[in-house]
Amino acid sequence: MVADEPTFARLMAATQDGDKAAGNVLLSEVGVWLERYFRRRVPPHSIDDLVQDVLIAFYTKRATWDPGRPFLPWLAAIARYRWVDHLRKVYKHESKELMEDDAVEDSEEEVVLARVSLDRLFGQLPEKQAEVIEMVKIGGLSIREAAEKTGQSESLVKVNIHRGLKKMASLVEKAD
Amino acid sequence: MKNPPQSPMSREDLIASLTGDLTPVKRIKPAEGIALIVFATLVAAVASIAIYEWWDGLLTGEASGYFLITHGFLLVLGAASTAALVSSSMPRVGARANAPMWSAIALAILPIGAILSLLSGQGNHAHEGLNDPVAFLCTSASLSAGALVLVAAVLWLRRGAPVSIERSAWLAGLAAGSLGTLAYGITCPLDTFSHVGIWHVAPVAIGAVFARIVVPPLIRW
Repeated sequence: MVADEPTFARLMAATQDGDKAAGNVLLSEVGVWLERYFRRRVPPHSIDDLVQDVLIAFYTKRATWDPGRPFLPWLAAIARYRWVDHLRKVYKHESKELMEDDAVEDSEEEVVLARVSLDRLFGQLPEKQAEVIEMVKIGGLSIREAAEKTGQSESLVKVNIHRGLKKMASLVEKAD
Repeated sequence: MKNPPQSPMSREDLIASLTGDLTPVKRIKPAEGIALIVFATLVAAVASIAIYEWWDGLLTGEASGYFLITHGFLLVLGAASTAALVSSSMPRVGARANAPMWSAIALAILPIGAILSLLSGQGNHAHEGLNDPVAFLCTSASLSAGALVLVAAVLWLRRGAPVSIERSAWLAGLAAGSLGTLAYGITCPLDTFSHVGIWHVAPVAIGAVFARIVVPPLIRW
């Protein structure tokens, strides 16, 4: 069972005061909470890396929690920030790869982007961008195959993927 | 803290290593952030007075209404953006203060009005309009004063944990631009609408854009 808000707040206050035992319990419980948080956002094999990343950020920035405010929204804000930062790195990697090589290689980052609330995000993209992102980044088609299927030129497919991914990263970042 | 170990170590090992040297921390208080920005503004104002001298017209009633309104708006924008900036350094989710945006919009009316009045031929003095000979001085002095405020804002943001980097950068620029111009503005004896409406507002826009470009890499964590 995951700890509740009052338990988290009590443990956090003790951790800020230097209580090591409380810190151990708190970090373990936060780890469990984060696992749940990321379960719907990233592929299973990426969860532990992100959880550990957030635990380090959480520990480093523990002085920024105000005991007069709720704990879980504070934790959620940090988790979301690290998740968005992860997506930003994914976008940069994707963009670089797209400009360097037509071949599409499987990578965990592609899977991450592909699984981030895709339906909702695709709904906000122009149809042509969503179509080629789905074909190339999820379906695994090459740029050339996507161009043949959609009737777009290869350059246009690249541009549409580039712009679409950029817009998706921006939409994720702006969402509260 | 010792260098935190990175993946792929187990989570239990990571937690043990983090809490192994756990020490009490001093909680960050928003009031400290506001005090830091106010202090930087006061230092900028004192430096401006030392360099350019205080303008007596402020106290003798000589200052025009335009001058007072412009600097009043700068004060409101500076206060709103400082409060939002300090708040943005503490992670949270939910509603965000939009007072800085509305204050900036209100301030933006001034240069629009000043330009319209110039176009209608109402500006007759040498120091009015886009050919204003002291425009560069007012803009550069305001930006220099704002640089002090920007340094304070960045130091505060680095101490905190901003989770919306771009928004924090905009706020830092708005605070630096408005409070820096206010700090310098009290020394400027030119109080026509076109002068203060354009050249005492331009540093805010320049500061905001500059901070939006420069600040994010400095505060990312």
